[in-house]
Amino acid sequence: MNEEKIKNLLIVLTACFMVLFSLFPFVYMVLTSINVAPDFLAKGWNLTLENYKNVLGVESLHFLDYLKNSIIISFISSVVTVFIASLAAYAITRLEMKGKIFVLLFVLGISMFPQVSMIGYLFKIMVYFGFINAYPALIFPYIAWILPLSLWILVSYFSQIPRELDKAATIDGCSKFQILFKVLFPVALPGIFSTALLSFIFAFNEFIFALILTTDYHSRTIPVGIALFEGLHGQVPWGQIMAASTVTMLPILALTLIFQRHIVGGLTKGAVKG
Amino acid sequence: MKNFIKKFESYAFVSPLLVFVALFVLIPIIGSIWTSMFRDVTFLKMKFIFLDNYGDLLRDEGFWKSLRFTLLFIAVTVPLELIIGTAFAVVLDLKIPFRGLLRACVLVPWAIPSAISAKIWELVYNYSYGLANYILLSTGLSEAPVNWIGTDIGAFTTVVVADVWKTAPFVALLVLAGLQSVPSDLRLQAKIDRANFVQTFFLITLPLLKPVLLVSLLFRTIDSLRVFDVIYVLTHGGPGGATTSVSLYAYKYFLGGDFGYGSAISVLLFLVAFVMSVFYIKVSKFQDNL
Amino acid sequence: MKIEIKNIQKEFKTIGKESVSVLKDINLEMKDGEFFVLLGPSGCGKSTLLNIIAGLENPTGGQLIFDGEVVASENKSECMPPKERNVAMVFQTYALYPHLSVYENIAFPLKIAKMDKSEIDRQVRKSAEILHITNHIDSKPSELSGGERQRVAIARAIVRKPRVLLFDEPLSNLDAQLRTATRIELKKLQRELGITTVYVTHDQVEAMTLGDRVAVLKDGYVQQVDSAINLYEKPANKFVAGFIGFPNMNLFDVEVSKEQEKFYIQFEKDRFYFDPAAVEVGTKYCMGIRPADIEVTDDNENVLKGKIDTMELLGKEVLLYVSSNNMEFSIFTAKKNFKENQEINFRFDQSKIHFFKK
Repeated sequence: MNEEKIKNLLIVLTACFMVLFSLFPFVYMVLTSINVAPDFLAKGWNLTLENYKNVLGVESLHFLDYLKNSIIISFISSVVTVFIASLAAYAITRLEMKGKIFVLLFVLGISMFPQVSMIGYLFKIMVYFGFINAYPALIFPYIAWILPLSLWILVSYFSQIPRELDKAATIDGCSKFQILFKVLFPVALPGIFSTALLSFIFAFNEFIFALILTTDYHSRTIPVGIALFEGLHGQVPWGQIMAASTVTMLPILALTLIFQRHIVGGLTKGAVKG
Repeated sequence: MKNFIKKFESYAFVSPLLVFVALFVLIPIIGSIWTSMFRDVTFLKMKFIFLDNYGDLLRDEGFWKSLRFTLLFIAVTVPLELIIGTAFAVVLDLKIPFRGLLRACVLVPWAIPSAISAKIWELVYNYSYGLANYILLSTGLSEAPVNWIGTDIGAFTTVVVADVWKTAPFVALLVLAGLQSVPSDLRLQAKIDRANFVQTFFLITLPLLKPVLLVSLLFRTIDSLRVFDVIYVLTHGGPGGATTSVSLYAYKYFLGGDFGYGSAISVLLFLVAFVMSVFYIKVSKFQDNL
Repeated sequence: MKIEIKNIQKEFKTIGKESVSVLKDINLEMKDGEFFVLLGPSGCGKSTLLNIIAGLENPTGGQLIFDGEVVASENKSECMPPKERNVAMVFQTYALYPHLSVYENIAFPLKIAKMDKSEIDRQVRKSAEILHITNHIDSKPSELSGGERQRVAIARAIVRKPRVLLFDEPLSNLDAQLRTATRIELKKLQRELGITTVYVTHDQVEAMTLGDRVAVLKDGYVQQVDSAINLYEKPANKFVAGFIGFPNMNLFDVEVSKEQEKFYIQFEKDRFYFDPAAVEVGTKYCMGIRPADIEVTDDNENVLKGKIDTMELLGKEVLLYVSSNNMEFSIFTAKKNFKENQEINFRFDQSKIHFFKK
């Protein structure tokens, strides 16, 4: 049984490495955020909550504005995306339509396009409509940007629902909208939920559009806010940045841990089918 | 009339999606192609110059440098991601205690905005008080602090590590899904045939994972082609442009107000991504699953 | 309600492939209150026909008439959507809404029809009572057994008092015992309700026991429409003869000859004389004889000689597989001391021989 021992040792080692690999930056982040200076490793700990007080309390840092912008923009984008994608997923899985495959592949191809190829002209469009530094400047492109992923996940969930359910609903007198919203939607609720959650995370994490289409705290989102964070006093305010990062991460972390099953399901459905 | 409506009903359901995608993805792309044929610099008069921007691009050493960096970046990160991701997936697939918790741990790097994680990495690699140098010095692996972000190789390493850290979990999830669709009978059969776990992995599991690995490889390659966030935050493309990706290079021209030239760079990038996407769609055989 | 099906056709067009004709020319008439069964092997188009009656699919030719009113034809503007037809359907997989309780499932069609709440409650409870599922009314479908789910599906179907009840292989997902019990109940329920019922199945036992009349479908055509007993005793063609009845009918190609006013069939060695039925001399026929209509005898006159290859004991009877005249016969007869390889003589019950023109 020597082989079994080697195997178990390997498993344990890999598992430990996985945990360390994934989590050590966060531990480091939290530690930095509760120390007065970032050189605590060499110079010794000097715990404080000052960083959090500044980030949450000092208005000129605008951290709470960024967070608010991110949450509102991501939430709206996610809800609208799931709604639009579920309409399309319904048509693709349930209705007679020429070119369904074309729509799916077209959308898949689009999700591969580099964002940088769009930002130049997108900037011009948003300037033209006067949306720069306003929520619509991000919400509209986000919706378009996340739609392909949502569509693929929802198509996959919808096609698992037996067709006989649609037939039964049709005979029970449902219109197409009623089939979608009274039958498919509730039955696929876990799927809808993971799609919405993934869409939210995608919008929340988006960087390049937000970098170019916003200019200040009126609409700037948290990733850009943190990347361009300037402290109260000259040098890089590591403590404050890490405090802000910690506060931002908490909700995302909580969502990820609580709904990891949904997220994994949705992600793998969207990326590789079968 | 009623028939007419019925016939186009299905398209009506799809149209909001198509409208959004057309307005905010296709038009910007076409617009970029259009702009790339102009001298379009802020405060200067627009002038149609057809392919001159592309001509300049071919002679632009900075562009070639960014292209070389991007390709090298892909060549290093993607294989690393696949190896680490597969190793993780194999462990996650086992029936071990705390499996759910382990899976959640792996998800965390993926779920965090890369701007934030890049910021953490920036601190890790800080010259005077970063974690990396602290470990090197305190374990005696290095006599003097390493200048990570200020040297070519150091900067390259930091971006690679930050990117692999962020994306390997995603590969792990894809491969895990692939593993779980490998019939367990097959692996059991291998066990009965007295194959040890190394043999089972290389002779049974890995060949069956080939399609998933290929899809992951292509997907990650296309995604790395457009790498931006991590580099922008971590090194700003430095030192001296050593870690400037094509995306970042184009962005710098947009920032400087040269929309024509920036668009030309981004269009070239788009064309490469487009060709690879077509290849990706072909290989992944998405059609078969519909 | 009376249903008339006139020249119904259905073609499926697939891009890049030749169109497939599933229903070629179907003519049927279902009387008011009748329990009508559509029987056929898989792929014969019976489910498509049911879907057309339900309004889930539209025919590409012909007319569907409910009580004199055209509800579907090749002209799409004449096709009435399912909700206006007032039909109800029970599916093979039950198709219960998994997110709704039993009560909500049964109430669903009434809610969609915007019926008054108290009226919905009354109707749902009544249906639940008829199907004996009142105890489960608050359960989710996933908590029920297959038989209970089937009852909920039926309750949901009858709650609206439909003009037609459609069943699509509703018993195939139940185990054998439950299937028999449910069959009997279903028949009783249909009698009580008196609703015209169309029932699709591939199981001949279900068809024979349930149907007032049975239509046998194959290759997009109706092969025969008749009562169960007539299908068995007077099959219209070789397909129906072979499809209906267990053990399967013996079928073989023969030629009828005549010698001095006596009709006979010449097998390889033996010759079998019989009284003339409606047959023509010199024509090639497919002759059919049910295994139970062959008699094993000690006579030597007008018999075929054969040898028992194998046999299956079925309680009091035995099924013999006999080779004779270079052919295989199956014979269903009372148990005697038969042995394998035993030589026997047998003859056909002359009144039970079927001749099908080729």
